[in-house]
Amino acid sequence: MKGYLPVTLAAATCLSMLTALYMVFVYVPTEVDQGIVQRIFYFHLPCAWVTFLAFGMVAIAGGLYLWLGHKIWDDLGYAAAELGMLFCTLVLVTGSIWAKPIWGIWWTWDSRLTTTFILWLIYGGYLLLRSFADDTEEIARFAAVLGIVGVVDVPIIIISVRLWRTIHPAVLLTRQGEHGLEDPRMVATLLVSLGAFTIMFVWLLWVRLATLRLRSRVATLRRDLAVLEAGAHL
Amino acid sequence: MLEGFGAIVRKDLRLEVRSGESTVALVSLSLLILVVMVLAFGPGGARRAEVAAGALWIALIFAGTLGASRALMAERESGCIRGLLLSPVEPATIYAAKLAVALIFMAEAGVAVLVMLVLFFNLEFGGGLLRLIPVFLLGALGLSALCTLLATVSGRVRAGGMLLPVLVVPLFTPALIAGSKASAALLAGQSLGAVATWLKLLCAFDVLFVTAGYLLFEHVILED
Repeated sequence: MKGYLPVTLAAATCLSMLTALYMVFVYVPTEVDQGIVQRIFYFHLPCAWVTFLAFGMVAIAGGLYLWLGHKIWDDLGYAAAELGMLFCTLVLVTGSIWAKPIWGIWWTWDSRLTTTFILWLIYGGYLLLRSFADDTEEIARFAAVLGIVGVVDVPIIIISVRLWRTIHPAVLLTRQGEHGLEDPRMVATLLVSLGAFTIMFVWLLWVRLATLRLRSRVATLRRDLAVLEAGAHL
Repeated sequence: MLEGFGAIVRKDLRLEVRSGESTVALVSLSLLILVVMVLAFGPGGARRAEVAAGALWIALIFAGTLGASRALMAERESGCIRGLLLSPVEPATIYAAKLAVALIFMAEAGVAVLVMLVLFFNLEFGGGLLRLIPVFLLGALGLSALCTLLATVSGRVRAGGMLLPVLVVPLFTPALIAGSKASAALLAGQSLGAVATWLKLLCAFDVLFVTAGYLLFEHVILED
C-alpha cells in the first residue's frame, strides 16, 4: 500500500496539473482590463496558498517534535520549510512578472508584498541554519523553536505592515483582488489550479520526506557501525 | 524562582562591573553606527528627525543583537552553562534572568546612544527625548526576548554568530516598523498619544515574544 502512494500522488499531480494548464491557457477567457498577463494569477494565488500551508506545517511539525520527540516530525518540518521557501519564491517571482505590465514596476512596498518578503527572509534564515548546522538533536530542537516563533510572528507582521502602509499610502492601490473574478470560468480555473498545486505539494512533500527519512536512517546506521568498529578494536 | 532569578542577575551584573566588556563593546559599536549614519545622510536637513530615529533603531538592532547574545554565550564558552542547568533553577527562570540582563545592557547603551543622537543631529534635550525612552525600552525588551531565545545558535553552528542577526532581524521587523515610526513622530515633536497605535503594537510584540521565549527556552538550552 505504502509503495503505491507516491506513484498515485505523482499521477494525480500530472493529471491535475495538465488540466489546470489547459484551463489557464485555453479554457478561461482573457481578462478585459489586464489582458493576457492576468492568467499568471491562476498560478500566483495557488503558490501563495501552498506557501502558507507549508509554513503552517513547519510550526505544527515543530510543536509535535518538541512534544513527542520523534525524528519524523523534524524531517517533516524541514521538508515543509524547503517547499514553503520554493513556493514563496515563486509567489514573489510571478507577482513581479504580473506587476511590471500592470503597475509599471517590478516591486513596491505594498503591505502584501512586504509581508511575503519578510516571510521569505524568516524561512531563508531557517534554511540557512539547517544547511550550516550538523544534523543533531540540539539543532532539530532549535529549528523547531524557530519554526514556531516564525509562525507566531506572522499575524503581527501583517498588522504592522498594514499600519505602516496606511500611514504612508501606497502609490498604487489597485490589486487583483479588487477586480474580482467576474466569469464563472475564472473561478473554476482558480479552483482546479488550487487543487493541482495542493496535490503537487503533498506529492513533493512525500518525496522529500522519504529522502530525509533515508538520510536519518543512514546516519543512524553509520553511528551504529562506528560503535561496532570501535568495539572490535578493543 | 525569584531567588534564582536574582542570583543570576546579580552574578552577571557583578561580572560586568568588573570586566566592563559588554558596555564597552555595545557603546563603541553604537557610536560607530551613529557616525556612519551621520556621514552617510548628513546631520542636518528637513528629514533630520526621521534619520535620527532610523539611526537609533539601526544602532539598537545591530549592537543589541550582539550584546544580548553575549550574556548567554559567555556561559557556554566557559562551560558554566552546565552548572547553571544543574542548579535547582528552572530553565524558564534562567531565561527570565538572562533577558533582564540583556535588557539592562541595552538600556545602558541606549542612554549613551540618545545623548550622542542629540549631539550628532543637533536635536533638543527635552520632552521629545524623554518620551522616546518608553518606545526605546519596549523595543529593547522585544529584541532581548528574541535574542536571548535564539542566542544559543552561535556556538552550536558554524558561523553561528553571523547567523544570529539573519534569524533575529526579520522576526523583529514588526517592532522595528512600530518603533522607528513612533520615534520619528516623537522626535518631530508629537505627543505620546499620537503614537498610541505603535506603542500598542510594540507591547503586543513584547508580550508575544517574552511568552514564547519563556515557554520554549528549555528546548533550546538543553544539551544532547
